[in-house]
Amino acid sequence: MDWAQIWEIAVTPDNVPITALLFLAPFYTWYGLRQAFANDRLIAQLEASPEMAKTHHRKVQAWKPGWAREVHTWPYLLRIEFLALLIVTAILMVWSITLDAPLEEPANPNLTMNPAKAPWYFLGLQEMLVYFDPWMAGVVLPTLIIVGLMAIPYIDANPLGAGYYTYRQRKWAIWTFLVGFLGLWVSMVIIGTFIRGPGWMWFWPGVTWDHDRLVFEANRDLPDLVGITSMAGKSIFGGFVSLLYVAGAGWAFHKLITRPGFNRKIYERMNILQYVTMQLLLILMLSLPMKMLAKLVFRIKYVWITPWFNI
Amino acid sequence: MPETPTPEPDPVVSSSLSRALLISALVVFLTLVWGIADETFFMRPWKRYQSRFVDKYTAHLKRLQPAQAQGEEGIHKTATYQKLAQQIEEAKKQAAPQRAAINKELNESIRPRLESLQVKYQEVRSHIAALTYELETAGGEGSKKSIRADIEEVRKERHDLDLVKADGSGGVERQEWDFAEMEREYDRLKQRRAELQTEVIRASAPVSALERQRDAYVKEQMTGLTREQIQGLLNKMDQFPSDIKQIHVRQIDLVDRCESCHLGTREPVELTKASLGEAVFAGHPTRDLLKIHNPERFGCSPCHNGNGVATTSVIKAHGYYKHWLWPLFKQENIEAGCQQCHVREIVTDHAETLNQGRELFRGRGCNGCHRFEGFDREPELLQAARQQMRQIEMERADAEREMARTFQKIDDPKTPLEEADRLKARADQIRVNANRMNERLEQLDVQASNLMREVKKIGPSLKEVRVKLRKEWIPVWIKDPHEFRQTTKMPTFRLSEEEIQAIAAFLWQSGVEGKLADHPMGNAGRGKELFETRGCLACHSVGEGDKLMGGTFAANLSRVGEKTNYQYLVRWVHNPRERTRPYCALEKKDLGPADYAKAGKPFRFDLANAVCPNDGYTLQVQQMTVMPSLRLTGEETRDIAAYLTTLKRPEASYAAAPYLDDPQLKQKGMSLARNYGCAGCHEIAGLEDEGRIGTELTKEGSKPIERLDFALFGHPAKNEGWYNHKGFFERKLKQPDFFDQGKVRTQLERLKMPNFHLAGPEINALTTFLLGSVESQLPETFHYRPEDQRRDIQEGWWIVRKYNCMGCHVLRANQPSVFMTLPRYQDPDWKEQLPPQLVGEGARVDPNWLVRFLANPALSESDTNRNGLRPYLKARMPTFTFSEGEVDKLVRFFMALSSQATPYIQPKLKLEQLSETERTMARQLFTSKGAPCLKCHATGNAAHDARATAPNFLAAKDRLKPGWTYRWMLDPARIAPGTSMPSELFRREGTRWVFNGPVPDSFKGYSKDHADLLVRYMFQFTPEEIRRLGGGVAGN
Repeated sequence: MDWAQIWEIAVTPDNVPITALLFLAPFYTWYGLRQAFANDRLIAQLEASPEMAKTHHRKVQAWKPGWAREVHTWPYLLRIEFLALLIVTAILMVWSITLDAPLEEPANPNLTMNPAKAPWYFLGLQEMLVYFDPWMAGVVLPTLIIVGLMAIPYIDANPLGAGYYTYRQRKWAIWTFLVGFLGLWVSMVIIGTFIRGPGWMWFWPGVTWDHDRLVFEANRDLPDLVGITSMAGKSIFGGFVSLLYVAGAGWAFHKLITRPGFNRKIYERMNILQYVTMQLLLILMLSLPMKMLAKLVFRIKYVWITPWFNI
Repeated sequence: MPETPTPEPDPVVSSSLSRALLISALVVFLTLVWGIADETFFMRPWKRYQSRFVDKYTAHLKRLQPAQAQGEEGIHKTATYQKLAQQIEEAKKQAAPQRAAINKELNESIRPRLESLQVKYQEVRSHIAALTYELETAGGEGSKKSIRADIEEVRKERHDLDLVKADGSGGVERQEWDFAEMEREYDRLKQRRAELQTEVIRASAPVSALERQRDAYVKEQMTGLTREQIQGLLNKMDQFPSDIKQIHVRQIDLVDRCESCHLGTREPVELTKASLGEAVFAGHPTRDLLKIHNPERFGCSPCHNGNGVATTSVIKAHGYYKHWLWPLFKQENIEAGCQQCHVREIVTDHAETLNQGRELFRGRGCNGCHRFEGFDREPELLQAARQQMRQIEMERADAEREMARTFQKIDDPKTPLEEADRLKARADQIRVNANRMNERLEQLDVQASNLMREVKKIGPSLKEVRVKLRKEWIPVWIKDPHEFRQTTKMPTFRLSEEEIQAIAAFLWQSGVEGKLADHPMGNAGRGKELFETRGCLACHSVGEGDKLMGGTFAANLSRVGEKTNYQYLVRWVHNPRERTRPYCALEKKDLGPADYAKAGKPFRFDLANAVCPNDGYTLQVQQMTVMPSLRLTGEETRDIAAYLTTLKRPEASYAAAPYLDDPQLKQKGMSLARNYGCAGCHEIAGLEDEGRIGTELTKEGSKPIERLDFALFGHPAKNEGWYNHKGFFERKLKQPDFFDQGKVRTQLERLKMPNFHLAGPEINALTTFLLGSVESQLPETFHYRPEDQRRDIQEGWWIVRKYNCMGCHVLRANQPSVFMTLPRYQDPDWKEQLPPQLVGEGARVDPNWLVRFLANPALSESDTNRNGLRPYLKARMPTFTFSEGEVDKLVRFFMALSSQATPYIQPKLKLEQLSETERTMARQLFTSKGAPCLKCHATGNAAHDARATAPNFLAAKDRLKPGWTYRWMLDPARIAPGTSMPSELFRREGTRWVFNGPVPDSFKGYSKDHADLLVRYMFQFTPEEIRRLGGGVAGN
């Protein structure tokens, strides 16, 4: 267990925020969900007793007589914000005094760094390059991510949960978000920072980053695995497999969203356009973990090979 | 009455955040304080260094002052100083009245009057000037006219002035002047003031001259600074500003802030670590270097490396962190910084470690595998010359074809006349061009044949193994040369038994066949004496371990009798350049008698007959060794060879090696020889055109660290702190297969570099050299690339190193030749037998003579078994068979070292003609009992010369320069310390030099310089004069 290696990666000034992310992401997820569960308990309480509902409204803390109905921003909100400001300032001061911005050697176009890593916000894309070809990983999927994020307000047919934390009323959205954000974004960033070493090889934490490490990884394409050699055959086979995946994923998501309970209600409120858009986006989202599985576990590189694109 | 329950306070409204706010505010404040402290204190360590320096330096100076003051007092007490001080007093007294008068007038009359006039005058003058400006820039004639009128008005205006009287009484007079009058008076006063000031200076001139003399005297006598100078330094320390001290050299974007902490670097006081207690404040050693390389132009980091810009910590400033690619050179490698600009040189002054590194690189044969720009240039230059020749030949062929076509057209009757004329002119032009090409070709041919002679190999030719070596010895040697001969240049390869056998078999079978002449055995006893006195030991050595005697330039011969046979040794010692078969580079073949017979020629080849019988190509007719011929007689040669065959270990035995004749091993051996790069150092049949197998090292110091293969040692190196070029080179040189450790590799995949058994200081020297071999960041104008005489010095050293001149001769001050270290020459009687020292040779000899001497040191075609100039020396100046280019470079080298003008024009004609009386006088002095000349110098008379220990005088007029000869006679010890020529042969009498002993009567009344007389006498020797002196025929 090479602790020095872990330490070296963790305290590289560029990586320090990501090290912080390791703690902050789970913490705030927990913090938010804790509030959401508390709210859910309150909601359940209020739904159970209509009397309480009249007076308690939807508050995190039950209102008690003698309290003001509303409190002023100044001073009550602002003083809390000021405290937060002081604390954040102190953290920033300490951070900037202790960690200097790195000034590395002069750029040498003949000598690329190994590993040559993108900044953290692109590490997810760089990781995707392992599983998809540059067209997909660098252009199509990022575009679809952005388009998808923009589309969320339009396909979100759930009127509840706006303005307060809740888990029960927003299960679908929360799960989609957690899988997409923590699973497909934050974890990619963390893999890109801590796991990917020289040569973009996989180094478990504690393993020294050896530039001379040699691994044997014979990746194969799915059509080759099955024995198809002609280009036409590959295209058709790949299309078929992809279609199978889309169908399978679509059926699975349909099953999920039509489960009795809240999800069903959302489903019934969605119009066809919203539904189709949501399905498409979810299927595309799922394709990344599927491809990761195929590559990392089954060593399958491409599934659909055509003269114009490979997936 | 029931109490209303006290309402629970609303936590949002009632909670007091004051404690949290207070604590966090304090924390923020503390971080602010921390930030400020970090910025002003922690990140600026140089402030602490500077304050410590001021304190310590002030204390040091205060300690120094009394001692210096005392020294100064001592000088003040000396007679010279007292005399000067007295003279100054007298001069001052003399000048005093005049000065007083002038000053009186200046201070009492001129200056006060001027001051009182000045203000008003200048005011009016500036007014006029402003109006004049308006006039110049005014638009129309009308406005110009009005401005002119204004100016006139201002000029005419009268002003009241209270002027101090001109008579010096101090009174004031009132004047009412206009501008013209003021101007007149003002100019007059100023002129008078200037006159008076010049007069003052003139009057004080003798005083100031004497004062300057006095100060110069004090400066000369004083060691270190005067009390006043130290006081000046103390004042500087008092007002010392605490700031970054930086050197900024604009044209190379260099900023060096080293002196912000290294404050003692250029202080006029010599500071060592002990002086101020801290190494950082020590002064720069070798101040000469700072004079040559002014830090204001070169900065610090071009020579020392490191991060000149950094000031936040010692590690950052010295560049010892991961991202600074040019860390500070350690003390032992400091001379690496010289290499990037002095890249042309193999000897650089003040850089002995670097010189040693370069010499090791050259001498140990690193160049055989690793190319390095500048080393072993001859083969590349030869190739370039040949290529150029081929190209010019093609161009010439084109030109001739064009000429033929042109002539065709001229002869064609259809061509009009004007056209024909034009074509004729064109044909002439082409002819002239073709001729120029011929000239160029001829020169290139000369150059190529010179270069052929200059190409040398580091190791002996392996084509000769069949005639030279004992076959059983070969595999023993290849297995571990170091075991057989500790001081050998040849490194130890890591070969398996099969590989050794294959290579040995290949070499044995590829050797040329030849017959050696059959000589009778010589006398080994005489041979030993000859070996130790003829000069062999200047390059070779005998004895092992601490009994080693002789030079390390060439092989140690303690066991040579075990490997080679008598007949070969005879041929070799007689003329090492003789080879069994000549080599034709075009056919890539060693020619034998059969080839010559086919062309109907006898099997004869030497420098005069070097043409290939098959294709006319120039043959390689010499062994490519630097070993020269010592022009020994047959008997001497046989004796030495006999002695050498006795040098062996009697108990040594060699296993039989029948596999050497196995033809199946030959091919394998050849590919192995190719793989291990044997042809880099040796001439091997079939591998003459092989390239070098190692990496080029010309810019190895600049190689990115990622490209140096640390193999499995990358992380340990990083952890232990040697992950840098120095760490790599040192380990590699110490154990070349160091980085193979732990690797799983087949024999052929392993690192090939063999082990050179280098000692610690040698490794350091080579590391210094390699660390300095970088892609220089400085522009070309900073590199040391002189095109004048200094270039000749650079070129000359390469040849001096190549042929080991310093084995016999002293060329630099304080450099002992190998001869001087031999036990035999420690005996004072043998000191006279040392070869002459060559410091100042350029000033001493006529370069034309030197050219002849270097080409043939016997200075005779018939009598070669001798030294042409010093036949009395037992050591023999060898015939090196230099190429013309090498002789030229050597002669220029000596001339440049002595700053002699080229070309040299003999001033013989400038010497005053000797009258007959003078000739007689000179002869009488020469041969008189009082003059020691003929006691040592040879005259050509065999009987006399048997006891001679100095050159023949007849040689002087062709060999020496008269100016040097004159200086030599007056003070030989200054020119050649330790020479046997007596000093103080002459003494000064007025403006001339006079012989310092009894002079013959004919000298009475002779008023001219005696030394000059003797010089003229020597340079105007005639053969009959020599005979008169008692000589026979003197060889020259």
